[in-house]
Amino acid sequence: MGKNATDRGAASGEVSRRAFLSTGAAGVALAAGRTREANAQSGSQRNWDRSAEVVVIGAGVAGLPAAITARDHGASVIVVDENYDIGGRGILSGGRVHLGGGHALQQKAGITARDHGASVIVVDENYDIGGRGILSGGRVHLGGGHALQQQASIKDSADQVFADWTRHDTADARYSDRDLVRVFADENVPTFNFLVENGVKFNERPIGPERASTVPRTFVTVEWPIASQLIAPGRGRNGSGLVRQLEIAARQKGAEILLAHEMKSIIREQGRSGKVLGITASHDGRMINIEARKGVIIATGGHTGNVNFRRTFDPRLTEEYQQACMPYVHQGADGELAAMEIGGSLWATANQTAEAGSAITKTRHIGCRWGYATLVYQPESPMFHLAKATGLTVADWQDVIFVNQAGRRFWNEADGSYKFFAAAMAYSGDPGKLNGGGPIWAIFDADAAAREKWNPKPPHVDPDGFFFSADTVSELAGKIRNPYQKQPISGAVLQETVNRYNGFVAAGVDQDFKKPTPMYKIETPPFFAAWSTPILHDTLTGLRTTPNAEVVDIHGEVIPGLYCAGESQGGFAQHGLARCLVFGRVAGRHAAKRSA
Amino acid sequence: MSAGAATHATVITVEDPAEVAVGAEFVLTVLVSCPAGCDLSGIPIEVMAPPDNATATVPAPCPPPHAGEGREGGAVARRVALKAPLRAGEHVWHLSCAAHKSSGWHHDASLLRVPVRVRPHETSLAVWAIPSPVVTSRPFAIKVGAKSAAGCDLTGMPIAVRDAAGTMLAGGVLGDTPWPGTSSLYWTELTLIAPAEAGMFSWSVELAAADLALPHQGSSSRFSIAIVDPPEHKLTIKVVAQGTASPVENAQVRLGAYRATTDGSGLAELMVPKGPYDLNVWKSGYDAPTAAIVIDADLAVEIAIALIPDENPDAVWQM
Repeated sequence: MGKNATDRGAASGEVSRRAFLSTGAAGVALAAGRTREANAQSGSQRNWDRSAEVVVIGAGVAGLPAAITARDHGASVIVVDENYDIGGRGILSGGRVHLGGGHALQQKAGITARDHGASVIVVDENYDIGGRGILSGGRVHLGGGHALQQQASIKDSADQVFADWTRHDTADARYSDRDLVRVFADENVPTFNFLVENGVKFNERPIGPERASTVPRTFVTVEWPIASQLIAPGRGRNGSGLVRQLEIAARQKGAEILLAHEMKSIIREQGRSGKVLGITASHDGRMINIEARKGVIIATGGHTGNVNFRRTFDPRLTEEYQQACMPYVHQGADGELAAMEIGGSLWATANQTAEAGSAITKTRHIGCRWGYATLVYQPESPMFHLAKATGLTVADWQDVIFVNQAGRRFWNEADGSYKFFAAAMAYSGDPGKLNGGGPIWAIFDADAAAREKWNPKPPHVDPDGFFFSADTVSELAGKIRNPYQKQPISGAVLQETVNRYNGFVAAGVDQDFKKPTPMYKIETPPFFAAWSTPILHDTLTGLRTTPNAEVVDIHGEVIPGLYCAGESQGGFAQHGLARCLVFGRVAGRHAAKRSA
Repeated sequence: MSAGAATHATVITVEDPAEVAVGAEFVLTVLVSCPAGCDLSGIPIEVMAPPDNATATVPAPCPPPHAGEGREGGAVARRVALKAPLRAGEHVWHLSCAAHKSSGWHHDASLLRVPVRVRPHETSLAVWAIPSPVVTSRPFAIKVGAKSAAGCDLTGMPIAVRDAAGTMLAGGVLGDTPWPGTSSLYWTELTLIAPAEAGMFSWSVELAAADLALPHQGSSSRFSIAIVDPPEHKLTIKVVAQGTASPVENAQVRLGAYRATTDGSGLAELMVPKGPYDLNVWKSGYDAPTAAIVIDADLAVEIAIALIPDENPDAVWQM
């Protein structure tokens, strides 16, 4: 059904949760209609399979602190997550395979879920929270004058945090909702203390100042010490030490985490009015209703992997652009869509296209499908059989040229700015593909492989559509076959592109794109083509909320009992973990304090 | 055709065969049908190969359909494996069916002419190990390799290098061992003499179509070469890190067509003729402005390059 095609995640061949939802329901409009019909049953008549005061959707960097904080304020909590684990620890073969998650790759992996009894419920379909948190570098950008800053003699305050992150002279901060930034600033130190109190360990060396910050505020969490509980071992994915510890704290405090539970809809009293009552989730092919007597907290992690949704903000972002952190976590806009179906609205959407943050990134690991800057799936990763290659890590962009789907260079390869991305996504002349620029290929020769000490063979590269080699450049062009490469590259065109570039190298000047001192010819056989299409990362806009993280509807009214934190929340586009942690706590606290 | 006709027609149809390469095996899908719907599945069809096709010069019976082969509109698809001639061009196969009686009806004889375009194999070229720059009038060598799309042995194939006017500058034949790391890139080294004048030159290499066991298309490719005047002066460049003044190793130094790499002391040397130049220093992760210099004697310069902080906010593992 056409809906599947447009709604499918960045990766073809895998069924996103949203596509799963759409199947047989003709997409969002009908799904919304179905929700309204379901809601016509009043809350008192509904059969609840489970009940808690606070229900958190997503067990990650926003959902876990939300669950802990709600418990700290005395509420019972259920966390649901569609994934098999908050962070990839529970790979158990032969168990109950997650069928409802819409995450076909996980199903293929034979990854099964664990259940834990407790009194607080977090619902996570897996894919986002623990997910991207566990893959992150663990850099927590919190300031305000906390203990580690004091130890490093860094002077900071809540007012300084606010001043920095409302700066007009940087697009990182310019479009922020200052009501949210004020709360963020005031909650920096309490959030840092919260992490320490819940057992999170930090390296003491400060980093920064970063982005809009004027003083060093970034501290890195200590990597989780148990290798078997890592998803991307071996590359300092220190966020594992954050989410694993928060998971322990949440469980110890009595939050119940339901893994392999995929949120399907949020139940509101009357369709688009009244208070939020709970959620529906699918588990083991069965739909269950989970009552939230005080509140539902959306912590689903953003929309970057949902092609249809992300094109709302930038029509260029067509299907060829992959999402960082796949194949472990898919940012499918689930929370946003579920909230919008009951009236929720978006906010501060300028942040998504302000060309300041890490919404679009340059690949650093080429020749594999998901070559995000710092994320490498080593062969020992439980995700490796899906990721299929580590990629070739580029140390020097002088070693390759980039060509577009027509086989032509388009920009200075050493650049990684938004100008580079704009050129990569420019119309490349294919009348059959007007939006998006198509695949970008890094072309290099045997000498470049030697300089970079690359071994251009599996498991370093993925020859199934993402890496090719040939004896001549012309032959190489003919070998490039990939689902996103709609037309074959002409051998003559690619040969001429390389010949022209080699001429620039001989002369010492790149007359086309001003690559600084083009250093190396591409001339020594064999020749290689490696997938190097820009990869998408941060979600920088999302649902409109109050400073208390309550979701606001399209008329500007609070939706009673609905909260949002993390990358699905709009209004504050700071990269990374800090805003997720802060507003997770804010949401958990406010929801717990609500009267049922 | 009406049921009252004295005879029925026999209709032979083939799927339009794609263009095939010389000597390639290909499959012809043949449909034999009667417009009135008679079952012709047991009727023999003869396949007459092109007269000069050394691989199949005698009429071959078209096999009856195998179990599982599809019926299309009442006709039965038969798949016939054929081999293309070794000569490029259009070749004609003939499919014939003799007059016969089927389902109680006489069926006319039928003959179908099937032209197939047979193309030679493509070739492609690589040129490498081109020294840069080359001093005027000096001899220098390059390597040239050629690849057959079919992976054929190209040993002995002639290679020529020509200038922009088409004048042949050098020639040779491909050797008998593929270049290391390639599947079948046959190569040779050619010696050339640099032009007497400095400048950028674009020359071409050509592989002439030749009579190997299988015909191949010729191909050509071009390459650029920087020719410079004889060096007169020594330029010594020291590259240091801005702020600390510590030497930077493995920085790439470019002076127009000239290049060098700094050693452990941050030093690189270039021998160059007099003239104005743009001096560029490149090292990944560093930034350095272009320096305009004039060489009229031996010269030593120091360039400070600035470390660019990694803008990636997640880059903890690189630290």
